[in-house]
Amino acid sequence: MSIQINHLTHIYNADTTFEKTALDDVSLEIQKGEFIGLIGHTGSGKSTLIQHLNGTLSPTSGEILLDGENIHKDKTKIKEVRRRIGLAFQYPEYQLFEMTVYKDVAFGPTNMGLSSEEIRESVISALQTVGLSEEVYEKSPFELSGGQKRRVAIAGVLAMNPEVLILDEPTAGLDPRGRDGILQAIKDLHDQRGITVILVSHSMEDVAKLVDRIIVMHKGKVAMQGTPGEIFSHVEELEQMGLAAPQISYVFAELKKQGFAVPTNIYTVEEAREALLKLLKQVKA
Amino acid sequence: MKMVKAEGLTYEYVRVLETDHGTREEKVAALKQVDIEIEKGDFVAVLGHNGSGKSTFAKHINALLQPTGGTLWVKGMDTKDDELTWDIRQTAGMIFQNPDNQLVATVVEEDIAFGPENMGIEPQEIRKRVDEALETVHMSEYASYTPSKLSGGQKQRIAIAGVLAMRPDCIILDEPTAMLDPVGRREVMETIERLNHEEGITMILITHYMDEAVRADKVYVIDDGEMVMQGTPKEIFSQVEELQKYGLDVPQVTEVSYLLRKEGIDLPADILTVEEMVGAICQFKSTT
Amino acid sequence: MIRDITIGQYYPVSSPIHRMDARVKIIITFLYIISLFIVDNIMGYVVVTAILGAVIYVSKVPAKFMLRGLKSILIIILFTAVINLFLTQGGEVLWQWKFLKITTAGIYMAARMCIRLVLLIVGSSLLTLTTTPIQLTDGIEYLLRPFKKIGVPAHEIAMMMTIALRFIPTLLDETDKIMKAQQARGADFDTGNLLQRAKSLIPILVPLFISAFRRADELAMAMEARCYHGDENRTRMNVMKMHSGDYKAVVLTAVYFCLTIGLRFLGNTVHFWI
Repeated sequence: MSIQINHLTHIYNADTTFEKTALDDVSLEIQKGEFIGLIGHTGSGKSTLIQHLNGTLSPTSGEILLDGENIHKDKTKIKEVRRRIGLAFQYPEYQLFEMTVYKDVAFGPTNMGLSSEEIRESVISALQTVGLSEEVYEKSPFELSGGQKRRVAIAGVLAMNPEVLILDEPTAGLDPRGRDGILQAIKDLHDQRGITVILVSHSMEDVAKLVDRIIVMHKGKVAMQGTPGEIFSHVEELEQMGLAAPQISYVFAELKKQGFAVPTNIYTVEEAREALLKLLKQVKA
Repeated sequence: MKMVKAEGLTYEYVRVLETDHGTREEKVAALKQVDIEIEKGDFVAVLGHNGSGKSTFAKHINALLQPTGGTLWVKGMDTKDDELTWDIRQTAGMIFQNPDNQLVATVVEEDIAFGPENMGIEPQEIRKRVDEALETVHMSEYASYTPSKLSGGQKQRIAIAGVLAMRPDCIILDEPTAMLDPVGRREVMETIERLNHEEGITMILITHYMDEAVRADKVYVIDDGEMVMQGTPKEIFSQVEELQKYGLDVPQVTEVSYLLRKEGIDLPADILTVEEMVGAICQFKSTT
Repeated sequence: MIRDITIGQYYPVSSPIHRMDARVKIIITFLYIISLFIVDNIMGYVVVTAILGAVIYVSKVPAKFMLRGLKSILIIILFTAVINLFLTQGGEVLWQWKFLKITTAGIYMAARMCIRLVLLIVGSSLLTLTTTPIQLTDGIEYLLRPFKKIGVPAHEIAMMMTIALRFIPTLLDETDKIMKAQQARGADFDTGNLLQRAKSLIPILVPLFISAFRRADELAMAMEARCYHGDENRTRMNVMKMHSGDYKAVVLTAVYFCLTIGLRFLGNTVHFWI
């Protein structure tokens, strides 16, 4: 399963005074099993892009191929596209509506027309993947904490067994503990299920910890893409786009400037510890 | 006189639990014996994870909640005295998390006028205050906009202007940036710092973002309803393990220096910024 | 679609109409609506339309903008026309099929109702297009004040209207988001019979209501924090004041009102139906 985006352009309110080009000739390829970080500030076009992948928006021009097939070609298949490419919107807990956690997560699979046995299997497996214990299954989703609600909502998308899971700002508004819990759950589901994950986020620290490849959107275009190490070594370009690299990347960029022989592709605390240890021990010796 | 002073501040409420044998009532203490003294003109951050009681504390300063035990004074006014409620709210204004749910009017300047109007101030004086408040948050050109057309950061600045127009001595901000993007967060933090420095307004910032708390003069950490740590940002953040125990982050540079210290490398424990880190490494190099 | 409705929208330009006192505009609109029912002949409608056109011209609101507003209620107008066309009997029978009959009286009635409806909508949307929601609610609050003695909560009504207007765009956006989120979970709003469609709204309405209640709760707290305690000792930044333009408008309206009454009587004596 691969996604190929060819020359995708989207213009909101075309032919009116409010006309706005949200996506400008975007071409991308996403391979099966990849863990992608999609970053860009508000208005960069990243939200518009993910809504196209899920078929909730149609392109003004260009196409999106899922396994070589244009997803917008056959309108009757759009439901199947939405199942295969799951999308959890920002603040997904605002979509919860059922009496119990179990029923809410079952909404998607029920809409897919699965048998009750299949539904049960998908729901329980999804709830387990996001790390919710059995005791909450029959509770009202509205009784849970913020972090737990969000897990329920993500499980609701996961229960449709998508091949690609897109998460829009899954950690927004959570405290460090809630954030770490959600990120761990996302990492687990990527590792266990082997599905493609696209993580949309403002938080560079979050993205840096998890993803294989980063795509940076700016003004409706793909401005940069590469491994986190490659992206975060471009501290200045990121700043110019209103983005920031993880704090520790700045330290290395500055050390390099001051003439230290350090790598600039450092972005996690662990890597920084190793690199500085090496550097400072050299100095000592 | 202290801007805010609490002695033995306690807040308990009754939670109804559903059990197998019907319902059971349980007393929950959201705040336990909190003592705090905040000086006029300070910029104070209160850190804590969700459910730690930090929001409950914030609401006490604005007299939206009244203590069930102990006392809290705002500029010497006891928040339990109902006669003083309006004076307290005018003295200590409050900003909430969701930028949408605190703007009342359909036009920016009318929204800013809302507070002074409630205080019964003369029309010309309100006009003057609204214009000044808009200027202070650098939003003058948006005076006639409708709030729904503004970004989250702009809405939050309008909310701040709305409080400013009431001429408060102190502003309490309850996670004002939690729902904003990085640009909005920067705008709001800059506004908070500027108001503190230039207008001398006491700022009490409730947050779980350590990078915001780092900028305060003094940091309090609240956990399970108790004030567990207090000190300058350097004093607080150098205690990496302790903070992590309370479910909080430390800046990446602080964590790295903590890990390097564990390896026997002699870096300062209270590094908070990139500059300090780079400086410490250069220093290390030149001394050895 | 929803965004096409111009009723309730404000068109921000500066014109003599925009600068008028909201109270005066509300009363004039009220009289104008009454006048539409006084006038009942073609000549009268021509005069009213001409006057309305002149007022629109003065207001600087583009006619195109007005017409777009009409588009969204075209169905109601057509429906009214059809009902009147077939239900009003009298005069010459022009066309008949089984029990359906079109008569000259039916045509006159349908035409008259359509014209009235269009004039009514264009005229009253002019009020909201030239008056900010704040001025409008302030005006309503002021005009309702005399009824406070008999228990009409004038201030509360105005405050409710303000808050409703403030949150309509927010809740529309929210509805859109929730719909998309449920669609992503395979919800289907476009197919199925009436019952199925009604049922498919539950996943939208429940989250929407929960969110609206949460917002109401938070807003109430935020208002309290800003010292809101009803209209007791409350002042306003913008005090409503009548200017010379308003007095002129009052006089012109009185003339207009007399004119419409005159036209009606004139219509009764001289036949304008040609």
